[in-house]
Amino acid sequence: MTMSRRNLLGLAAGTGAASLLAACAGPGGESTKPGETGGEISFAHWRAEDKDVFEQIIKDSKLAVRQDISPSNDYQSTALQKLRGGTVGDAFTAFRGAQFLDIAKAGVWTDLTGKPLTQRYEPALITAGAQDGKQLGVPYQLVFNTPLANRDLVTETPKDWDGFLALLDTLKGKGVTPIAWPGGDAANAGQLLNVMVVNNAPTDDALGRIETGEAKVTDDWFLTVLKQYQQLTPYFQKGATGTGSDAALALFAQGKAGLLATGSFQVSGVRKLGAKFPIDLLAPITTTADKARYEGVFNATFILGVNAKSAKQDAALAWLDRLSDPVVAGVYANGTAQHVTVKGVEYTNADLKALAPWLSRKTALAPRFQFSNLDVRGAVENAAVQVVGGKSPEQAAEAAQRVVDQKR
Amino acid sequence: MSRRALYLFAAPALALYGGFFLLPAVQGLRYATTDWDGYSPAFHDVGAANLTAVVSNDDLFRNALTNNLKFLLVVVLGQTALALLLAVLLAARGRGSTWLRALFFLPTVLSSVSVAFIWKFVYDPNFGLANAVLDAAGLDRFESSYLGDESTAILWVAVAQIWFHAGQMMIVYIAGINQIPEELYDAARTDGAGRWQQFRHVTWPMVAPATALVVAYTTLQSFKAFDLILGLAGNPPRSGLDVLATRIYSTFANSQLGYAAAESIVFMAAIAVVTFLQNRAARMAHG
Repeated sequence: MTMSRRNLLGLAAGTGAASLLAACAGPGGESTKPGETGGEISFAHWRAEDKDVFEQIIKDSKLAVRQDISPSNDYQSTALQKLRGGTVGDAFTAFRGAQFLDIAKAGVWTDLTGKPLTQRYEPALITAGAQDGKQLGVPYQLVFNTPLANRDLVTETPKDWDGFLALLDTLKGKGVTPIAWPGGDAANAGQLLNVMVVNNAPTDDALGRIETGEAKVTDDWFLTVLKQYQQLTPYFQKGATGTGSDAALALFAQGKAGLLATGSFQVSGVRKLGAKFPIDLLAPITTTADKARYEGVFNATFILGVNAKSAKQDAALAWLDRLSDPVVAGVYANGTAQHVTVKGVEYTNADLKALAPWLSRKTALAPRFQFSNLDVRGAVENAAVQVVGGKSPEQAAEAAQRVVDQKR
Repeated sequence: MSRRALYLFAAPALALYGGFFLLPAVQGLRYATTDWDGYSPAFHDVGAANLTAVVSNDDLFRNALTNNLKFLLVVVLGQTALALLLAVLLAARGRGSTWLRALFFLPTVLSSVSVAFIWKFVYDPNFGLANAVLDAAGLDRFESSYLGDESTAILWVAVAQIWFHAGQMMIVYIAGINQIPEELYDAARTDGAGRWQQFRHVTWPMVAPATALVVAYTTLQSFKAFDLILGLAGNPPRSGLDVLATRIYSTFANSQLGYAAAESIVFMAAIAVVTFLQNRAARMAHG
């Protein structure tokens, strides 16, 4: 059979049009009208490391859920725009602080107040998902933004700042890096600031007050924080300000560092690298023992919600309801080595059991998430990194305060 | 074929250009005069306040501009010089040069994310190749934290960018060198010119059009180096690695779309100024 050029062009055009229509139809070509509970829903989140556990929960629940996962920093930057479209994230998650507030302002949360699933959570742990008396989302994870300690190396728990520095000297004497700190990774470098601030700050909302202008980076208490960073500098690994999260994790997992200055959310990552040593949490107490108000820091995050722009809200709510079941929450918790905010969960994971005493210890809600302006947060956190890089605390504080004044 | 039919052929491209470039550009100008956060139904007009703030009262933007200009300078000079050197050495045809051309061109076909991953490994202070090599050579006093050093971090990214794209520019130069008539070299040799003089008086002036192309393209690449920087520095990048493109993205992510639009306008103006100055410099350099 011969084909003329006209026929060939016609065939190409037809194929192109068909391809375009197929592409527009999306994966599976499924269409669901508003209010329908059928069809696959999208669950948007940032925890790629939890993907397998979620897949297992999806399989067991027989719900049609597709995970749309973005790296955490990209999720922080772009999730709101995607969610507003309504095609991604019928059910979704949000970080506590700036992202939660922005999504609330954009009207993307569905009000969960009074829904039965909210009764399954510890009331005190889901306040980060409430605004103006409405329960917009439910924080699912309970993490400790408190340094991890290798208990084979770190045998004592100092009660004050001098004791902490003495411990670091002891670790140095053992030939290991006292603190592995991912100073080159903006998201994780700031975790240490949480524990450095909570006991130094005059009030629990001191970082938030920097953003509102009621406090300054140049205030004495924050200068004390920066000076303590300066004191910690010789105890970090070499090139600390250029070290990424994976490298710091590897140093700790290989037993080359006594402390990992991030948080409990990295325990599973440490285990995946083959670490066998007992893991505990250990925060630097930055004051004298009598003035210390907190032993560490926690955060209730990974705030679950239903997208108000979604056409499949009932199905999304069913998915959240499933995750809120104590048995399912237990599968998630034990599979990911993270505590959850759901009541009555049985922790069988050895690390979660070991860290369980921290659930009742005196810990503060992570202060770095009090910032709602990411530029202000970046400036304040970067001041600490710059001090470790060699800048004087006073200069770093002044530069940060200038940015705060310009951006708040 | 009628004239109207000819216009129809251009219509799809014009529609795409209008819809995805012209319209957003005009919208950007409008948004730059507002405090729109990017999602609220309402916003306020702020006149020129955003533009004034970007130009006169924004340390983060000024820092990004400074970093971008440092990056631009190093990449344009380094990449152009390296590409020309490689082209001069590999312009002659032969099995060896063909193989080497392919080798130097190889990084160009990689994605920015892959390149960032490779150089992250090179620059890691504890497990990275760079410090390991220095250590093995007994030069550990030169070890660095590379991307963690505020004052030099952007220069290390520039090295990665040069490695990434020098091979591509080498091909442009090789095409230019192959266009030079052999008689010019014969005449130069007859006049007693050595290799350097042949390069100085024949090759360099004759590859002027290629140089203009390489410099212009490299300049744009340097301003648009977004994915490589995010890949190496994370999101958001710290102040030592923040450039204009990443700054605008951070502002957008901070729900300040109006202000990000104003930053974009200044960004475009900066590109226009640099391109104008380059054209003037190129004209002066080549008489």
